[in-house]
This record gives sequence, C-alpha cells and structure tokens, in this order.
Amino acid sequence: MSKTILSGDDLSKKYGDLEVVKHVSVSVDEGEFICLVGKSGCGKTTLLSLLSGLERATTGQVRYNGKNITTSSEDELALFRRENLGFIFQSFHLIPTLTAWENVALPLFPIKMSSDERRERAIELLEKMELEHRMEHLPSALSGGEKQRVAIARALINHPKILFADEPTGNLDSATGEAIMDILNKLHQEQGVAILMVTHEAELAKTADRLIRMHDGEIVS
Amino acid sequence: MNFHYLISELYYQRRRTVTAVAGLSIGIALLIILNSLSLAYRQAAHAPLQEIGADITVQRSGDVPKELSGIVFPCSAVTIKAAEIKKIEGLKGVRGVGRAVLLWVFQPQRAWIVLGIERHNNVGPSILRNAVVAGRFLKDGQPEALAEAAYARQFGIKVGDKISLAGKKYPVVGLVDASRATKIAVANLYLPLGEAQRLAAASAPIQTVSPFTAEDANLLFIKADEEKIPEIAATLKSMFGEKATIATPDSLLKLLGSLFALSDKFTLAASLIAILVAVLIAFKTMAGNIAERSQEIGVMKAVGWTNRNVVMQLVGESVIQCFVAGVLGVALGIIAAFGLSFMKVSIPIPWEMCPTPHFLPGGGDQIFKTLQLPVHVPLALAVFAIILSVVIGGLTGGLLGRNVSRIKPSEVLRHE
Repeated sequence: MSKTILSGDDLSKKYGDLEVVKHVSVSVDEGEFICLVGKSGCGKTTLLSLLSGLERATTGQVRYNGKNITTSSEDELALFRRENLGFIFQSFHLIPTLTAWENVALPLFPIKMSSDERRERAIELLEKMELEHRMEHLPSALSGGEKQRVAIARALINHPKILFADEPTGNLDSATGEAIMDILNKLHQEQGVAILMVTHEAELAKTADRLIRMHDGEIVS
Repeated sequence: MNFHYLISELYYQRRRTVTAVAGLSIGIALLIILNSLSLAYRQAAHAPLQEIGADITVQRSGDVPKELSGIVFPCSAVTIKAAEIKKIEGLKGVRGVGRAVLLWVFQPQRAWIVLGIERHNNVGPSILRNAVVAGRFLKDGQPEALAEAAYARQFGIKVGDKISLAGKKYPVVGLVDASRATKIAVANLYLPLGEAQRLAAASAPIQTVSPFTAEDANLLFIKADEEKIPEIAATLKSMFGEKATIATPDSLLKLLGSLFALSDKFTLAASLIAILVAVLIAFKTMAGNIAERSQEIGVMKAVGWTNRNVVMQLVGESVIQCFVAGVLGVALGIIAAFGLSFMKVSIPIPWEMCPTPHFLPGGGDQIFKTLQLPVHVPLALAVFAIILSVVIGGLTGGLLGRNVSRIKPSEVLRHE
C-alpha cells in the first residue's frame, strides 16, 4: 500500500464573500499521478496553490508526510517548496534575462554551492530534456515546447517528491503538448515522482492514476 | 545574493539600468559640482588675505582729517591702541598678529601713501620681502625706505634716492613690486614700523583726530585657526564697533555676490535638491523595474527563495547600479570641475582696505583681485559621493525589496 505524502483536509478558500474552494479534502500518495479536471474558474488552480503552500487556506489543514504546514511562516513554506516540490506553469514563467541552464538552476541560487556544481546539475537535466544545444540561449530564443522543457528541468533540479503542473500544455500546440505529457509520464513511471496536474483537457487526464473532478469549488468525483 | 543573476539582470535590462544609472549619476555630478564650486569660491575669497599671510584684517573707522596737509590717517584706519593689540593677541584661536601703520603724507609738491611694516613678522606686509625687484629689503634699526616699483617708475625714483618726510630723510634701499604680492596694503613707500609710528605720533593732525602713541598701530593682520575665524571676527566687531572694517574670507565672499559664494546654506539646499531628484529618479526607475518583474519574483518565491533571498538580490542589484552611478557621477563632476577651473573670478576689495585716497587719481576705482577659480574635487567629497550613492542604493533596494517580497506567488503566477 502506497504512503500518503500530501493531504489537504477540509480546505476552503474565500476571497471576500466569494468561496472559491469549499471544504475539499484530497490526498496524494507517493508516486501517484493525479489529474485535477474541471471547467475554467472551478477552483482547480486555487486548490493546487493551497496544497503546494503558495496560498494559505481560509480553513482546513495541509499536511506533508504528516506534518501540518498550514501554520508555517512564509519563509518556512519557501524552504519546504524548495526541498520537496517542483512547479510547472502554463505560461512557463522563465526568467527572461537568464539562459536556459541558469533558469534551470534558479532554485539553487540561494543555496551555498559552487557555480560549477549548479551548472553541472542544470546541464544534466537539460540533456535529459534533449536541450543541451540550447543551454546558453535566453528564453526569447526558445520555442514554446523548449521553454516548457526548461521549466520541467527547473522543477526537477531539487529532486522533488511531488510535481505541481498547472495546465502544462495549455500554451502549446497538440504535438508539443503530447511530447510534454510523454516527459511527465516518463518521470512518473521511471522516477516515481508524484504529479498533481491541473488540466481541462479530458484527453490528457486519461494517463493519470486518478482523476479528481471539480465543480464550483467542490470535488464532485 | 547571486552575483551571476545580478549581472545578467543589469546587462540584459540595459535600458532600465542606463536610465537609473544616468539619473543618479547626474544628481551625484551636480552634488560634486555645487560643492566644488562653493569650495573654490571660498578658497578664492581667502586669496587676498592669504597673500599677506593673514586670515583677518582689522581697521577702525574714525573722523575725517580736518585738513589734508602734513601726515594724516585715512578715516577708515585710525588708532588701534597697543593695549587693544595685546588683548587681540590673547584671543583664543589667534596664532599671530601683524601690525602696520598706514599714513597719508601730504606735501606741497606730492602726496605719499606710506605704510610702516614689521620686518620680521610673517603675518602682514613683510611678505613683500619676496617682491623686491631692485636693491634690498629693509634692515633692522635703519631709518630707510622701500619704494613701490610702479610708483617709482612713474616719478623717477631710484634706489639710492633720498625721500624727505616730515623733515626727515629716508634713503630708498629697494623697489618692491607690490602688485605682484598683494592688493591689500599697497603703498607708495614702505618704512620700518617704528619710523611710521614715530611720524604718526609726532603728527599734530593725527593727534587732534585720533590720539596715537609710538606703540600703537592703525592696521592689524591676524593669522587664526580656520574654524575660529568667525568667532574672532565677532569679538573684534564688539571691540571696535560696527563701523570697523573686519575683513575675513567670509566678508570678502559676500562681496562676490555669487549664489555659490552667498552661503553654505544655499550649497547645502541645492545639494539636497540634487540628491533628492537623483533619489527620486533612481527610486522611480527601480520601482518600475520591480513592478515589471513581479511575475519573476513570484517564480523565485515559488521555487524556494525566501523573502530575505529576494530582498538581498534586489538590494544587490540596486547597490551595484548606484555604485556605478556614483563613480560615473564623480567622474562627470571631475570633468566639469576641470572645465570650470578655467573660469576667472574677480574679488572686490572693500574701499576701506584700499590705501589710495579716493580724491587722488585712481583712488575712487574699485580694486579687484582677479584669479583663476581654484575648482577641484576633494578626495573626501568624491568618497562621500560614492558612499552616499551606495547608501541610496541600499535603502532604495531594501525599501522596494521589502514591499515586493510580500508578493503572493499564487496571485502573480495565475495564468490569464
């Protein structure tokens, strides 16, 4: 039986009078691939933010390996994310003034280590993403698919236990999107990384171990 | 702080970097120029007094001579008693006092401006020993005279001639080019102080207007500690009254009338405005920069940068930019100072300090001391400007960084 590494219990999020996430409980097991689906505005991204510590819940608790992280400070949450989580965003969010390898190494910048070690680790991941020829390029010189592969490499630099992917193929054409999904599936299958992916494309969700449907801030199935 | 990231940011965002650096460097350059100019005017104003080895000159105003015949005092320089001189010598901050006696000698065929000088005192007109162009300087205990070179040329006076004053003959032992040495205390004839004192003490017109003994003087030159000059000048004003002529570098500076020469307060206010404008430009540019980078900062926080990491990175960028701006501003200031150092400034000498009677030819003309404005950037000012730039950078980066570190990644990273 797989161990639960992340759980959200009775999570709610209110913005003023608007309740975006309503008393949701969800758990992620080690190495599990979960797809969070639902219409735009149903609270998927907010739930992802609550579970990853990017956002604080109005009520409820988030536990990582049994430890309540809801009460952690901003800086504690930042360190928690650095050590345990990886993020992939729909809009890639690469730093425009850093080259591909520097973007991959961004989470390592605040850590005391040699520049060579950072570079080696970043290049190793870029090679896995078949982007070794692009490592000195700025994001402006990369295609959408290449940018997302750099973002995936950045998400993996700290060997995360869970990858949070928010519409990772949303800004890509279907062929490139499929290639990105192949990479995520491979990561899940070969490295056992747990993935919590938000998408509104039912086709992509088919590859997941588990599907969570949301509607109007609630889990419906 | 990651230096590699910092340099990449500044290099690839060149337009932003150049705007911030240019804005602040212009402000720093203005600060340097304003303060260097102010300092240069101050030094220039000191020049007329420094030429005679003094920081302050003192003259007491008195009554106009009843008759312009024989030996008289100018009304702007009447008796200063020996006891008063002794008191001045004892004032705190006074390093030396030079005495002189200025006389107008009216004879049927000629009028003389005569100055009695101390031969061995470095404070006062004895500095003329360096301006002897013919013959020699005055010797101790000799009743002899020096003639001013231009005056001697005009009236055909030569070394070896004898000049008669109040019935006593004085051999001319040398010619001095007083114009080369000073604009203050220029006379036609220079006598040993003792001789001039005796002539004044024996003069009935002087005794009726301003009683004088052979130990008194009517012109004092004071060397003083720089920081004590205003205090000493105020004491002298209270001793000799408001009508006395107490010349100090500050009083000469006021005569210049230039904005830079007017007051320290003007320079300070203008410097503060220059810095304030520079800080606002730097602040606005950096605030714009940070606002544009909110998503970038959101990513940094999402991938594990703490608030302190983010603030330190932004402070680093800001400090480096401002340091470069400071160095550039100092360089611009030095270039501008070099250009301004070719400027000439004419310092008006107050009429009371001009020994020529106003009713004689040239006596009513305003005398100026003209010199090249000694503009330079002191090392301390340059270092201060660079440190100030770095402090501005630190504060600006810190303040903006603190605000921006409160950004919630979930808000700025949410896709449209």
